[in-house]
Amino acid sequence: MRFGFRAIPDPGHEGIRPRPIVDVVVDGLDIAPFACLLDSGATAVRLGSHVAELCGIELSDAPTQSLAVGGALVTACMSEASLRVADAHQTYEWSAPVWFCEPWAPSFGLLGLSGFFDRFTVTIASYEEWFELAPVSA
Amino acid sequence: MAEKVVELQVRIAGKLFVLRNTNVTKALLDAEPEPITSHFVVLGTRRFPPKQVICALTGLDRADFTTHQARRTLMRLGFAAGRRGAGPSAATGGPDTGPDRLRPFVGQWVAIKDQHVAYAADSPHRVVAWLAEHGQKADSVFRVPEDEVAATGLAPL
Repeated sequence: MRFGFRAIPDPGHEGIRPRPIVDVVVDGLDIAPFACLLDSGATAVRLGSHVAELCGIELSDAPTQSLAVGGALVTACMSEASLRVADAHQTYEWSAPVWFCEPWAPSFGLLGLSGFFDRFTVTIASYEEWFELAPVSA
Repeated sequence: MAEKVVELQVRIAGKLFVLRNTNVTKALLDAEPEPITSHFVVLGTRRFPPKQVICALTGLDRADFTTHQARRTLMRLGFAAGRRGAGPSAATGGPDTGPDRLRPFVGQWVAIKDQHVAYAADSPHRVVAWLAEHGQKADSVFRVPEDEVAATGLAPL
């Protein structure tokens, strides 16, 4: 699956460098795929807690930890969730541990090492502003 | 600077109406934009189907007039109009590509469909509710960054 980089405006600046962002359907909520940044610096998949709420994912008994995102302390609750990405030709769905965080400052979710980078061979062509995801065979 | 008042006498479905540009935005202030199928007009930072706007202004049934008539009337009142999926040249309200089209929505949650903002609101819950209510499926949902932290999405430490 190949995707172009996507630019999201950066307030206070003329523009922002387009980045590898992909839309992810979380737990079958097809009507609202959430924009997520490929982030090899993140150790796991991290989304805002609003995503869990909208998808009906129960977090009351979920494992919880405190961590820092963007310099702010957040409370993160982990739940297994199905994730799906698609381009015009292919769709790939997998299940992964997702950390739902509160508060959540970034405008998008973060796709990190566990649950994303360990499920795909990821090729990033930054000069040409595209990236490719090839599912890793089990 | 005060907004210039444009007043127009138009006959729609055999009835005469006096429309003012200043009344248009007021009339649609609390209205939720319906899904854009093709044509739209821009009111503030939101896009509406032209027929929805004329219905709200006149109380007419939307079967009583055409999209073309509604669009033309609103353009004469000074509102920008465009056509979904027709590219930036089709929009008369200025550039409509890339991050620039998102700048009016800073801090808001947006549902993007076919490269356009289908709906914007102050919470993801409202966006998802709107999508469900109108049977729409977004290509992407996110919050337009309001500051550098939101825009850069720094990785967890």
